[in-house]
Amino acid sequence: MAVSAGFKTDLLGAIPSLRAFAVSLAQNADKADDLVQETLVKAWDKQTSFQPGTNLKAWLFTILRNEFYSQMRKRGREVQDSDGIMTGRLAVHPSQHGMLDLGDFRAALELLPEDQREAIILIGASGFSYEEAAEICECAVGTIKSRVSRARTRLQEILKISGEADFGPDAIATQVMGSSAIA
Amino acid sequence: MYRMTKDQEGAPGAKPRRNVTSDLLGANTEIGRKLKQYYDELVSDDVPDRFAQLLSQLEKAAPAQKKD
Repeated sequence: MAVSAGFKTDLLGAIPSLRAFAVSLAQNADKADDLVQETLVKAWDKQTSFQPGTNLKAWLFTILRNEFYSQMRKRGREVQDSDGIMTGRLAVHPSQHGMLDLGDFRAALELLPEDQREAIILIGASGFSYEEAAEICECAVGTIKSRVSRARTRLQEILKISGEADFGPDAIATQVMGSSAIA
Repeated sequence: MYRMTKDQEGAPGAKPRRNVTSDLLGANTEIGRKLKQYYDELVSDDVPDRFAQLLSQLEKAAPAQKKD
């Protein structure tokens, strides 16, 4: 159990990523910091169960994620900002050639269901592989892939951007515009 | 016109096996770029002292044999 010093340093180093992930999940800075705190305490208590040499960040993300969902369950699945309200508030204009506003993007992320949001964050931002993300989320790799793909599609719809579909047939863009007009 | 370059010929429907990440969310997609910008901003946030303090407290209270 002489690992403590190194372990502490490693935990300290992981805090910025943990906070980023926590904010992405909880969509609230205070709740996020509470999650991080809880994660650090749990990680500390369970440090002997961490296999040195394996991915500490993934291990911590797993703890944080479990904590997030168990808190959500305790609170009886907290009022998710209802899609309608948020969508109404979201006056996102069609993006001007990559000049999409970060605030709009943040608001759009908030509209995603948690499972899709966490998947797209883990893969697209936190730098995890699909395999690692699947382990963190305790699901199949294919499930992560489809969540990421749905998240991306949904973000494109909300933000009314067509991304790589720019190259595709116009039908795709029309479809996207059509569906978001209905939504 | 705004054009992004892609490694492979993007025949619609042809699903690339590898580098799914870069295809879906790579730096050459707007979503991919925004996602990283969003996240990097969060990561570079200043970390409150409370976390370092917490870890020091945990360290003082012997790890394996916690005396609650």
